[in-house]
Amino acid sequence: MAKSTLAAQSAFTDLKTSKHAALTIEVLDDLTMASIASSKGRAEEVKAAIRAAYGVELPTTPERVTGKGIAFIWHGPDQWMAIADRGAGMRDIEVELKPVLAGIAAVVDQSDGRAVVRLSGPRVRDVLAKGVGIDLDPRAFKSNGVAITHASHIGIVLWQVNDAPAYEIAMFRSFADSFATWLTHSAAEFIGH
Amino acid sequence: MTGQINRLPSGGIIDRSRGVRFTFDGIVYDGHPGDTLASALLANGVTLTGRSFKYHRPRGILSAGSEEPSALVELRTGARREANTKATMAEVFDGLESTSQNRWPSLRLDLMSVNSLLSPIFVAGFYYKTFMWPAALWEKLYEPAIRRAAGLGRASQSADPDTYEKATAFCDVLVIGGGPAGLTAALNAGRSGARVIVADENFALGGRAIDDAAEIDGKPAAQWVAAAEGELAAMKNVRIMRRTTVFGTYDGGTYGGVERVSDHLATPPAGIPRQRLWHFIAKRSVLAAGATERPIVFGNNDRPGVMLAGAVRTYINRFGVKPGQRAVVFANNDYAASTVTTLKRAGVEVAALVDSRNAPSSYVSGIVGAADVRLISGAVITTVNGGHKIKSVNVRTADGRSIKLDCDLVAMSGGWNPNIQLSTHVGGKPVWDDVICSFVPGTLPPGMVVAGAASGALGLKDALDGGAASGASAAGATGHKPAGISVPSAVNESVAISPLWRVDGCTGKSLVDMQNDVASSDIELSNREGFRSVEHLKRYTTLGMATDQGRTANVNALAIMAELTQKSIPQTGMTLARPPYSPVAIGALAGHHRGKEFKPSRRPPSYTWTKENGGKFNETGLWLRPSLYPKSGESDWLDTVKREVNTVRSSVGICDVSTLGKIDIQGADAALFLDRVYMNGMKTLAVGRCRYGGMMREDGILMDDGTVARLAENHYFLTTTTANAVKASQHLELCHQWLWPELDVQMISATEQWAQYAVAGPNSRALLQKIVDPEFDITDKGFPYLQVGGITVCGGIKARLFRLSFSGERAFEIGVPARYGDSLLRRLVEAGKEFGACVYGTESLGVMRIEKGHISGPELNGTSTARDVGLGGMVSTKKDFIGRVLGDRPGIADPDRPALVGLRPVDRTARLRSGSHFLSRDAKPTAENDEGYMTSVCYSPTVGHWIALGFLKRGPQRMGEIIRAYDPVRGGDTLVEVVSPCFVDAEGEKVRG
Repeated sequence: MAKSTLAAQSAFTDLKTSKHAALTIEVLDDLTMASIASSKGRAEEVKAAIRAAYGVELPTTPERVTGKGIAFIWHGPDQWMAIADRGAGMRDIEVELKPVLAGIAAVVDQSDGRAVVRLSGPRVRDVLAKGVGIDLDPRAFKSNGVAITHASHIGIVLWQVNDAPAYEIAMFRSFADSFATWLTHSAAEFIGH
Repeated sequence: MTGQINRLPSGGIIDRSRGVRFTFDGIVYDGHPGDTLASALLANGVTLTGRSFKYHRPRGILSAGSEEPSALVELRTGARREANTKATMAEVFDGLESTSQNRWPSLRLDLMSVNSLLSPIFVAGFYYKTFMWPAALWEKLYEPAIRRAAGLGRASQSADPDTYEKATAFCDVLVIGGGPAGLTAALNAGRSGARVIVADENFALGGRAIDDAAEIDGKPAAQWVAAAEGELAAMKNVRIMRRTTVFGTYDGGTYGGVERVSDHLATPPAGIPRQRLWHFIAKRSVLAAGATERPIVFGNNDRPGVMLAGAVRTYINRFGVKPGQRAVVFANNDYAASTVTTLKRAGVEVAALVDSRNAPSSYVSGIVGAADVRLISGAVITTVNGGHKIKSVNVRTADGRSIKLDCDLVAMSGGWNPNIQLSTHVGGKPVWDDVICSFVPGTLPPGMVVAGAASGALGLKDALDGGAASGASAAGATGHKPAGISVPSAVNESVAISPLWRVDGCTGKSLVDMQNDVASSDIELSNREGFRSVEHLKRYTTLGMATDQGRTANVNALAIMAELTQKSIPQTGMTLARPPYSPVAIGALAGHHRGKEFKPSRRPPSYTWTKENGGKFNETGLWLRPSLYPKSGESDWLDTVKREVNTVRSSVGICDVSTLGKIDIQGADAALFLDRVYMNGMKTLAVGRCRYGGMMREDGILMDDGTVARLAENHYFLTTTTANAVKASQHLELCHQWLWPELDVQMISATEQWAQYAVAGPNSRALLQKIVDPEFDITDKGFPYLQVGGITVCGGIKARLFRLSFSGERAFEIGVPARYGDSLLRRLVEAGKEFGACVYGTESLGVMRIEKGHISGPELNGTSTARDVGLGGMVSTKKDFIGRVLGDRPGIADPDRPALVGLRPVDRTARLRSGSHFLSRDAKPTAENDEGYMTSVCYSPTVGHWIALGFLKRGPQRMGEIIRAYDPVRGGDTLVEVVSPCFVDAEGEKVRG
């Protein structure tokens, strides 16, 4: 891609990456994402193509799989979200996946359609409990688990990245500021205002 | 200040090393951490705490818990003032300001107590009977007057300065109540490894074990409770939640709870909410909510100083406070006799134990013998003498004599009601238990077990045993097997009882429901007037309806009604309890969602620029859409709209249209699928081209409109209206998943991926040529009307360009990935300066679409067909599609149906109003003559007067006719001319070229 002088804007107007003992908030602005929806009856071919290209097995249950520099989030029956860092090379997952899945799946760029934050730290579950009605206890929800749910009336996709624990939450971009208001309100008890 | 004259020198679980200072009605008092407001007031010798709801009777403290009907006070001042707080639940803190309520001018001299003298006319149903006529006076006179005289505390008129939260917690076993049964349940469930939550409404665990200062495992109960608490706190799988009332049982193992996080503090610490609403999702629950003691109904049984016997023991044992100097204990059961022992130990003189039963049990004889207290068996208290303070009681002995006993405290007990409410919220029916003379839980909600006093097992040993077994079995049911059940040792109190509900031959009111001032005589009246069903009794007398939910009143009332109707109590029945068990603040139910956060809002890419430039917003669904960009010097919105519209029509304007729904449709059957959902053909759309399309509902009514762009053979990109984006998307998913699952179609929402701007006006191309990278030809030849294509902008940013026009001008829509939306707008504004470009919002957008006769929400209103809105010609006759068959129904295909026309006032200076109804010029304004109505109205800067769209009967055949636009609501009656809905560039030449 040529060098554009057009500046990219964070989906979050005010929310910034911040580290606290209880909770770390990271705004993930530099991601490239794409929706994948298998063509009718072609899911096995889609899986084989992804296996061949990235060495990972696409999940058929609400789970996340990671390959080298890429993750796939289950997004519905025969649907996934591919997600990777955009980086200095301006990686574009849509462009990358289209030839891999040509004729067997629809690939739609979502790099800007979703706002994503990563939340981690010892009190992250207590914060999420204030808006997410999902049992995130390690007995019920494990690393790489995925939930399509809502946070404080905002539709989200949530997945657990590691046992730190760290979670990533994706929402429609336009909701980012409402989500941030809820998040800072809910986290205030642990990290102050 | 007289000091804590009634504080015992030792005992209780208060922190005597520290003091707290608080006020009640402006007088300063001292207490200790661990006190409730009630215990601290009693310690200071304050027994008069308020006036009753209707009769303004003097009231004091009846209980020591959340069942309190009488000691209701206002706490705090200013915006934090809260009314009707139970002094028995409020914890004292340094600086607490509390006041009595429902008195004027003061608590001791309450002029409103004249109501009490008038009580013969203030009976149940009094309002309805007396103030029936004339009805007009109800709102103006009766209700305000009654509200001043009756009612309780005053709400603060200011916004609540505190914050609230909602949260969800999951567990294997939810233990409701942290008394002896709850603690053994939690211990045994916790030891099995199950995830346990134990919630108690009180700030201290222990329940009646502490209140009765019983022995557990050979230790004082408080010690055992502390050890149990320590063990639970050390278990990672157990969460102890104090100050948390589980107030409701709901479907699927869901329980509602409210945690009073900061109620015990003067102000919540920064970041900490005042209260938190909990959804508990529990696989199993143990209801160990205890029991509530019943008053006995006798004359003046609501006087300050008449208390429940169990509460008397609580104040002495838990708080180290003696509630009086000389007591009479009045009971119909064995359990209450232990009050005698407690009182004597605290140094309170006991004038007598008045036991309504004729033959004393050996348990009672033993107690009174050891305490050397006079036992009067087979006797009842008929009347309490004294107003603000008890002076004496009249006792009627077994042989009918009346004797007077001097005292300042009456400890009464009519037995205990298990707290069964949470077992009945989802339809469980309680059953009558003859042994304890009360209702116990019957059928239980799925997953619930009941233990301890809540199950009717009132004895301490039974409670500990039942809790342990329930906790173990509940955990076991979730797959956690405890190693064995462990129960501490204890002894059961005797709980033998012979019912006594009310005493006859009393003088003075005998209160049943103290909070709502319902007396025994009101139940008699209810019976006489035929309101005998318990549900009628409740509504006629308001019994059980107050904030205490009649917890001290309901069973007594049923028993009295049963006696009056000569039925058994189970035959009389029980009113059903509904959530909440005790009041929940609206703030807690709202949580984070108040003010601007009442619901989430969606911000379009132009949000920040719009804010910076003084733009206004309107709400479209959850979206905040820019509506207007006023400039200085513009006196009102119309000035702004005129400028914006004129700028677009003469040069160029920019409008954020990102909020339109955008759906990416791919697949081998995409064309076929779209042909079936759109009323016009989409298969024939060429690659690289756009088409306007309409979708119908199954019933032939128009559902949504938008554009369809064909990006590739099997790849379409369609837009929906902003308001209908979700509905249209759901409709398409339903069609695919349910009607035609065999089709190869993939639908993916791309609404938020693209920041999209309309660039409209004669200079739109010239402006865009400064933005679009030079290798892309956007001349009319290279990019004609209704063309679509992928381009790059600003040096390589991928973008999509559509040649679409809603304004009727030469126009484009340009989409870039949303992260560039803000920057692109700034770039467009900068590049537009040489053209005098403006940014415009939904107001001008709406004006221009009315000028062009394009339909929008007011026409696409869920009752109009394609033909109604002038799109009949678009409806395909060559294919089947959703809505085709029912769209031909005689009713909605009727040529007489109102159809879209344009309207302009005959007097060009006249203003038009949407909603006006059409009448033929000479017709009378009656409903039969109604010929349709105006849907959309605006002042058109382009034609220079008001114009309108509307639905008129046979409208398209009536061009040129003068009709009336009749608007009786706003006094409008205007002659208008029927014209084409398109007021600007009827030939549509401007969009091309």
